[in-house]
Amino acid sequence: MEQFIYYLKVSFKGIKRAPLPYALTIFILSVGLGVFFANATFYYQLNRDPLPQKSDKLFFPMLNLVPYECSTDCKTPSVLSYNNVEKLSQTDIPTQAAAMYSADGYLRQSADQAPLPVSIRITQRDFFSLFDVPVLHGSIWPDNSARHEVILTKSSAEKLFGRTNVIGEKLLLDDRNVTVAAVLDTWQMLPRLYDANNRNHLSDADDIYLPLETGYDMNYLSNSQSQTFDDTDYRQLSTQGRTGALHQLQYWVQLDTPAQQQRYWQFMANLVQDEKAAGRHPSAPNNQLVAMRNIVSYFGGESSDIKAFALVTLLFLLVCLFNASHLSLNRYLSNQYEFSLRRALGANRSQLQLQMLADVLLMAIFTIIGALITGFAGIKLMNQLLPANSLFSNWDLPLLLSLLAIAFVCSYLVTLYPSLRASFGTLNQQLKE
Amino acid sequence: MSFYMLCKVLFSRKVVTGLLLLQLAMTLALLLNSILLAQQTHQQLSQPTGLDLDNILLVQLKPTTASLRVYPALEDLLNRQLDAVQAIPGVIAAAYSNQSPIAQGGNNGNIFVVEQQERTNVPSVPMYFVSKDFFKVLGSQVLQGELPQHSVSLDAPGTPDVVLTQSLAQKLFGSASAPGQQVSRGRVAAVISDFYGQRSGSHVMYNNMQVAPPYGVDWGYSILLRSQPQHTAAVRQQLDSALRNVEPNIEIYNIRTLAEQHQRLYRNEYGLATLLALLSGLMLLVTMVSSYSSTHFHALKRQQEIGIKRALGASKKIIFIELLTENWLCTALGSVLGVFLALLLNHALAQVISIPALSGYLPLVAITVLLLCVTVATWYPATIATRVSPATATKAL
Repeated sequence: MEQFIYYLKVSFKGIKRAPLPYALTIFILSVGLGVFFANATFYYQLNRDPLPQKSDKLFFPMLNLVPYECSTDCKTPSVLSYNNVEKLSQTDIPTQAAAMYSADGYLRQSADQAPLPVSIRITQRDFFSLFDVPVLHGSIWPDNSARHEVILTKSSAEKLFGRTNVIGEKLLLDDRNVTVAAVLDTWQMLPRLYDANNRNHLSDADDIYLPLETGYDMNYLSNSQSQTFDDTDYRQLSTQGRTGALHQLQYWVQLDTPAQQQRYWQFMANLVQDEKAAGRHPSAPNNQLVAMRNIVSYFGGESSDIKAFALVTLLFLLVCLFNASHLSLNRYLSNQYEFSLRRALGANRSQLQLQMLADVLLMAIFTIIGALITGFAGIKLMNQLLPANSLFSNWDLPLLLSLLAIAFVCSYLVTLYPSLRASFGTLNQQLKE
Repeated sequence: MSFYMLCKVLFSRKVVTGLLLLQLAMTLALLLNSILLAQQTHQQLSQPTGLDLDNILLVQLKPTTASLRVYPALEDLLNRQLDAVQAIPGVIAAAYSNQSPIAQGGNNGNIFVVEQQERTNVPSVPMYFVSKDFFKVLGSQVLQGELPQHSVSLDAPGTPDVVLTQSLAQKLFGSASAPGQQVSRGRVAAVISDFYGQRSGSHVMYNNMQVAPPYGVDWGYSILLRSQPQHTAAVRQQLDSALRNVEPNIEIYNIRTLAEQHQRLYRNEYGLATLLALLSGLMLLVTMVSSYSSTHFHALKRQQEIGIKRALGASKKIIFIELLTENWLCTALGSVLGVFLALLLNHALAQVISIPALSGYLPLVAITVLLLCVTVATWYPATIATRVSPATATKAL
């Protein structure tokens, strides 16, 4: 330990002798790593698997069940009609399944109160178990039938009532009476892969949850994506919307085993074949069963700006590493005489390398501090310039530890070659210079 | 000093020169691609919209009670709001619309000439349901036919007449006259000058309007108004209270000029271009630090050599130019490598974002900027090096 403290003291003396080149090295490395940290944070958070235990078991089925024969753009619609979902639900192959969409509404306790704008997830009972949503109070709807019961998030309950245990309380949702059936615990699935259409996976969780049948009865239209392929009047959602080709539903199924997946795929193929045989859907079959982990790329919703910036920040980090190595090499070459003198007085190469490790440690500490400050500033700036990704700007422990490890490796690499060069030269020659 | 000697001096310190060359090359590659992206964003932001962006105000709003979202209460609300907005001093015209122009997406669908669907079908054309002054607010020129003068309910028998923008009319009918023809959404009444509709549509200038109250306002609606240029700011300030005085049960999402709406539409591109520009600036700074330290360090190492040259009659100016030339040569070599790297980076970026290909005079501009930065960075250490006295430098010989 004493020896190590000595090495640290020598390192400090080296810094004091030429503070400017050292400060420049730290500055350049910190900026490079900081910019890299900032972008790596977004990249990591946007591409992380929010449900690692079951993301390979959740699938999004899509069918080309439309009332026209497509000739040019035969892409399967990314949303399903109520009718499609009914047909897809006529099997017990999936362990769980839930249809859903989102809408906007206004919530208040009584008519004389100011309304609270809310985002409503209109869905079915299995939604909560499919995506491991924790319940704080009350219980989820017992079945998928229509009921004027809402499920609130913890923050919505606190906003409306100032407390969370509000089971049985009455509310007005767009002037209609509803009762609170349950309150969810703090929950946020990021990225929100269950709603990846139109890059909605970047959005925050919804405020309240309403049964799908009630949503249709109340004529709630999707605020994200809806397509009509016939004369269905979308204002008549409760009637025409249930029978016509008004597509606005997303549907998720849980298929635990490959055999289950194969059976479900076959079920979809048979369903489309039967529909065609009945003359209802003339378009060519083009079924899709997309796994949750592939859903963002399937919908083309990957954050290309973050990807592009990732490429560039990696390049920038490389430049900074080269530059810091360059500065470090100059610094070590300036100190070569001192190194050589130590070697001449009996210090072996491993002792010189230990000295170098003390240098690395110091440099890593300064660099990490600088990089964290730069990274934090970079994240703030990126949130300003690319606000769509602002929910993905948090540091968590694994990310932070990886970033710290990268900073240490970079500091080591920057010091490695120069120190080797300084300690492995010809002694005679070095002492003469 | 000859070119050969300069190269010899440069490559006598292989690692340092190699690192510097790589840095210069990467800096140039990033600089070039940043300029390309900035140029593209600038072009997108300055492309013609056909609209007086600064003097048209857009209000996006929605009634907060369900009873106000259905007819006839909705029509009454829309008319009362228009009357209130038009009464604000400085307002030239006001109109409602189911959606705003200059948007990413919205209410759209396909349109085709009746009985020629196969040949003329155009997908994703925005559908605007507007009040009659919509065209006055946008400042549209009537190119063919006559604008509808009365609002017709979409639920009434028959369909309201259709107004098309020039580009869409040309796409559907070529050079033939459009008014009187039947398209899938109704009879064409008029063709107006182009304006920017939806970015995700088939073409940003393809738009179709019908003078009719919107089907519904579940997604909210827009009030657009044109104001006298000197009154725009004052009108904007009064809008919120004017609308809330008419009906307090509304949520106003935003009030902005179309110029702000346009800026928001390209916010991501603008953000990325700004980030790349900042990064290019940082890279130039890092390269300058590198050039500075390299020149400073090697001038120190070559004090004796410089002293001898000075003793043999070389002037300060010659020493100064020699040191600068070394850096210029290094920058030139790095630039050659940098252009190749820029092409590779451009290709890689084109896989994930829309970026134009590298061409023309841009490499020359970027190389000039790089050369200028390197010159500025090496100026001071080169000046210091020329101050070496021949006597001091040669006393150890």
